[in-house]
Amino acid sequence: MANLADSFLADLDELSDNEGYPEEDNAEAAGRDDDEDDDMPDLESLNYDDLDSVSKLQKTQRYNDIMQKVENALQKGTDFSNQGSILEEDPEYQLIVDCNALSVDIENEIIIIHNFIRDKYRLKFPELESLVHHPIDYARVVKKIGNEMDLTLVDLEGLLPSAIIMVVSVTASTTSGKPLSEDNLEKTTEACDRALTLDASKKKVLDFVESRMGYIAPNLSAIVGSAVASKLMGTAGGLGALAKMPACNVQLLGAKRKNLAGFSTATSQFRVGYLEQTEVFQSTPPPLRTRACRLIAAKSTLAARIDSIRGDPTGKAGRNLLEEIRKKIEKWQEPPPAKLPKPLPVPDSEPKKKRGGRRLRKMKERYAQTDMMKLANRMQFGIPEESSLGDGLGEGYGMLGQAGSGKLRVSAGQSKLAAKVAKKFKEKSYGSSGATSGLTSSLAFTPVQGIELSNPQVQGNLLGGGTQSTYFSETGTFSKIRRTQ
Amino acid sequence: MSYLLPHLHSGWAVDQAILAEEERLVIIRFGHDWDETCMQMDEVLAAVAETIKNFAVIYLVDITEVPDFNTMYELYDPSTVMFFFRNKHIMIDLGTGNNNKINWALKDKQEFIDIVETVYRGARKGRGLVIAPKDYSTKYRY
Repeated sequence: MANLADSFLADLDELSDNEGYPEEDNAEAAGRDDDEDDDMPDLESLNYDDLDSVSKLQKTQRYNDIMQKVENALQKGTDFSNQGSILEEDPEYQLIVDCNALSVDIENEIIIIHNFIRDKYRLKFPELESLVHHPIDYARVVKKIGNEMDLTLVDLEGLLPSAIIMVVSVTASTTSGKPLSEDNLEKTTEACDRALTLDASKKKVLDFVESRMGYIAPNLSAIVGSAVASKLMGTAGGLGALAKMPACNVQLLGAKRKNLAGFSTATSQFRVGYLEQTEVFQSTPPPLRTRACRLIAAKSTLAARIDSIRGDPTGKAGRNLLEEIRKKIEKWQEPPPAKLPKPLPVPDSEPKKKRGGRRLRKMKERYAQTDMMKLANRMQFGIPEESSLGDGLGEGYGMLGQAGSGKLRVSAGQSKLAAKVAKKFKEKSYGSSGATSGLTSSLAFTPVQGIELSNPQVQGNLLGGGTQSTYFSETGTFSKIRRTQ
Repeated sequence: MSYLLPHLHSGWAVDQAILAEEERLVIIRFGHDWDETCMQMDEVLAAVAETIKNFAVIYLVDITEVPDFNTMYELYDPSTVMFFFRNKHIMIDLGTGNNNKINWALKDKQEFIDIVETVYRGARKGRGLVIAPKDYSTKYRY
């Protein structure tokens, strides 16, 4: 009785949804006002329980059209038509762009259906959603288990790993859930079927896009693979948009921010976008992955720009870029070169700072060995030397003090330097220079003779008298020599 | 450590080694690889060869395999180290009375480097006899 009444009301609700006439809406509202007290809770639960009100994608015209085109294209096979040189004018390219957008919508739709299934199935098996996280796996397990209470009779092999199967079985034996009602079970099963159908459609769409990646973006596919290339193009909004994007933005495409619910992000793991799924990134050691991600993003952007202008349809440039990436990552992993010992330089190989000349000789004379040290370094033959401690101990004095006086003091000899200094000193002190004023006298005062007046005539007499008094004197006669008889 | 240093196996090879080197000092160790004193000396030579390679080169000669120089240089000690520069034997006054060679195992690397540097400086100036920076006479042993 109650089930039959509910089904009639559901039919009425569906009919009202299908028809869009305002009069019907008003009549429906009037009907609700009349039955408000009795049927409101049932209506609310019925609206929430209806799968069609939650999931609408499969009934849209756009979805059906794209799926039909994909079916036709896949049946046609890989027919690379190079008729149009501009990429955006190709109808297949437009189909690929639509497929990229559709795959995102399908993903969102699957999440919505997963929430629906989870709400329904929580009454029977509350712990299952925490054991199986993936929406498609969850749908398969729910469909397999159904309303069975003894899980040992259900074969989950092939759906889940063995460890999780064991955990699910043990948890099912102690669960607090109750079997579902018939209509709830039917709705849950229908939702699972719809989720699996959407997943199959999504796989078909992605297969189509991947098969066309070698034609649409050959260089980008060579670097990051067809799957990641299709995801990058889908997220960016097409190959042209991807080519215009800077490399640092390409690096973050597909990166999902983790919701830490107030916890610190200092210890959160480094998150990468779709580039994390590339084969080159996964084969890189973890410490180098940050640099590898930047490198792959940069080369991928270059490849996308090559593809957007149809620069290299064969994909050779992409393979060269991939080889370059591998070489760089290989180079990062090399250890630094070992330090070699530095050999000594050749002795006396550098030119001397000093050369020679008068100035250097003066410096050497200033620091030369003194006469005292010369005497101390010499030994006289046959005579023992004196020493500071006596009997040959301590410092020897050599010929120092051997002169007979018994003293160690040596009179300083006259050196050239001292004589020159003394001479210069004399000239400076007592000589008068040529530049004299009119008030000074030409007389010079010396400490030896003081002031002295001289007779100028004495000198004149000496000169004249000296010559005439002997040979040319007027009074002189010839010399007379007597005979010795 | 004698396997780290080049060996000369004939009298002709020794002559060519001394003749061919124009810029560097040639150091030749006469002895045997299996001798204990030569082993100690070769440790120092091998450790030092890389450091002084800019101005000296070291060779090893087995006096049983190459007996040509035994009488000429009086090679009767377990280990003998001699210095040659431009086909000329450089003598060194170490204080031992024997100025022709080092006939014991010198165990200090820095002392050996100092001796080689002194020999090189004197040899480049044309001297046949140089005075070692350290006195190795028996004055300090008793």
